[in-house]
Amino acid sequence: MTHEELEEAVPLYATGALDRAERQALEAHLLSGCQSCHNALKEYQSVASLLPFGLTPMQAPRALKAKIMAARNPDPLAIDGSAKETLRPSLEPGEWMNHLFPPIVPARSFSLPWAIGFATLLIVGAGGYFAWTYSVQLSEDASKIRQLEGSVLDQATKIATLQREVSTRDRVLAELQVDAQRKANDAIELKGQLMEREVELETTRADLTAAMRGKIPQDELAALLRRPDAKVVTLAGADVAKQASAVLLYNPTTQKVWLYSAHLPECPRGTAYQLWAIDQTPVSVGTFHMDAGDTAHLLVKRLPDFEKAKKFAVSLEPAGGRPQPSGPIYLIGQAS
Amino acid sequence: MDTPTRRATSSIDPSLLTSIVKGDQQAFSQLYDHSSTLLYTLAFRILGNREEADELLQDVYLEVWRKVARYDIGRGTPIAWLITLTRSRAIDRLRARTTRGRQVTSALDVSVSSRVADLGPSPFETQADQELRMAVGSAMTSLPPAQQQAIELAYYEGLSHNEIAARLNQPLGTVKTRIKLGMSKLRESLRHSWEQGDLG
Repeated sequence: MTHEELEEAVPLYATGALDRAERQALEAHLLSGCQSCHNALKEYQSVASLLPFGLTPMQAPRALKAKIMAARNPDPLAIDGSAKETLRPSLEPGEWMNHLFPPIVPARSFSLPWAIGFATLLIVGAGGYFAWTYSVQLSEDASKIRQLEGSVLDQATKIATLQREVSTRDRVLAELQVDAQRKANDAIELKGQLMEREVELETTRADLTAAMRGKIPQDELAALLRRPDAKVVTLAGADVAKQASAVLLYNPTTQKVWLYSAHLPECPRGTAYQLWAIDQTPVSVGTFHMDAGDTAHLLVKRLPDFEKAKKFAVSLEPAGGRPQPSGPIYLIGQAS
Repeated sequence: MDTPTRRATSSIDPSLLTSIVKGDQQAFSQLYDHSSTLLYTLAFRILGNREEADELLQDVYLEVWRKVARYDIGRGTPIAWLITLTRSRAIDRLRARTTRGRQVTSALDVSVSSRVADLGPSPFETQADQELRMAVGSAMTSLPPAQQQAIELAYYEGLSHNEIAARLNQPLGTVKTRIKLGMSKLRESLRHSWEQGDLG
C-alpha cells in the first residue's frame, strides 16, 4: 500500500471498518513512526470515542449495579486470577490503541500479584543474567585455556627447534674442533717441514757459498791463466815448512793477486797466515787461515803496487795480522 | 436522583481508576455511576436488546475491576478506554451470535430511530454530557444519511467496508469514500470537543 492509501485508511481504521490484513498493514506503518498518520489516527479515534455520546441515553437497570458489585471479588487481582477466560475478543480494547500510543505516565501503583510477578520476573531475569554471565565466563575461560594450550604448543615447538639447532651447532663445532686440530697438526708438520727446508736451504746456501768460493775464482783463475800478460811468482817452503809451496798469479787488468798455497801446517788457535809484498819494507796483502785437514788455500787480494814488489813472503801472525811481519816465515819467493 | 452531583461522563477523573487499582470499592462504585448510562446505551445500540446489554455490562465492569491496572492515561481518557472496551466486547458478542445463526437485529433502524427521537435533554445526564450529546448528535445529523449509515454500520455493528458494501449493495470504493468523508466532517465539527480536554 502506498502512503496515500494508508493515510486514507486511517478513518476507516478508527471506525473498525478495515479487514484484518489492511488493519495489520496500517498498524505496521504506524509503528514504523509515521507521525502524520499517527496524529490523524489520534484525532479520528477521538471522533470515534465521541460517537456513543450522540445516542439517546438509556439508563442501566438499577439492579445491575448491585449485581455487578456483588459478583466482583473485593480483591480485583484475586478476581483476575480466578476469572474464567471467556470468548477471546478479536479486538482487545485498549490493545489496538495501546501499542499505537506509547505510555506517557507510568502505572501509578502495583498490586500484590503484579509485585509477585515483577519479583519473579526479576529473579528469573537475574538468574538468567548470572547464568549468562557464568556461561560467558566459562566460554572465556575455555577460550583462554585453548589459547594457553596453543601458546604452550608453540613454545614447545620453538624449544624443539632450538634444541635441534643447538645439536646441529654442537656437531658443527665438534667438526670444526677436529678440523682445527687437524690443521694444527698440519701446521706443526709444516713447521717441521719448514725447519727441514730451512736446514736444507742453509745447507744449500753453504754449498752454494762453497761452490761460489771455488767457482768464481776458478773461472777468473782460468781466465787469468789464459792471459799472456799474467805475472807468476813461485814461493817455496821455508825451514819451518819445507814441504809447503805456493804460486802467486797477478792480473794486471784487475790488479788482483792470486795466492794458491798448499801443504801449509794448520794455524794454531789465535793465529793466521799473512801475505806480504816486500819492496823496501813489507806491505801486508791479506791474511788467511788453514784449518785442520786443509791441504790448500786460495787467497785473492787486490794489489795495485804488484810491480814494485821484489819479494813475496807468508808469515804466521797473530789473528787479524800485523802491520809488519813478527812471526816465522813459512813461504818466500822472488819476483821475476 | 443523584444526577446533579454526578461528575460528567466525558470527564471522569483518571485518579478514580488509580483508586480502583488499589481495591477501592467506593471508587469502583463511582466509576459505575459516571459511566454506566453511556456504556449501557452503547451496548444496547450494538446488541439491540436489554438482556444482552445487561450481561455485557456486567462482563465489562467485572473486566474493568480485574484489568483496571492495564489502563494508562497516556493512552486515552478513562471514558475512551471504557467505550473502546464496551464496543469491542459487544461486537464480539454480536459476531458470536451471528456465528450461532441467530437473526441480527436491524441496528440501523434502532440507531436512526433513537437518534431522531431523543435529541432532547435526558434526566440522567450532567450539563456537560448533555451539551456533548447535542454536539455529537448535531454533527451526525449534518452528515448525508449515506455517510452516517456507513459509519454506524462499521462502528456499531462491527462490519468491515467489504461487508458494508455487500449489505448496502454498493461498490467498495463508494463505502470507503462515505466513511472517510463522514469521519472527516465529524472531525472538523467535533474538534473543539477533544481540544477542550474531555476526550482524546
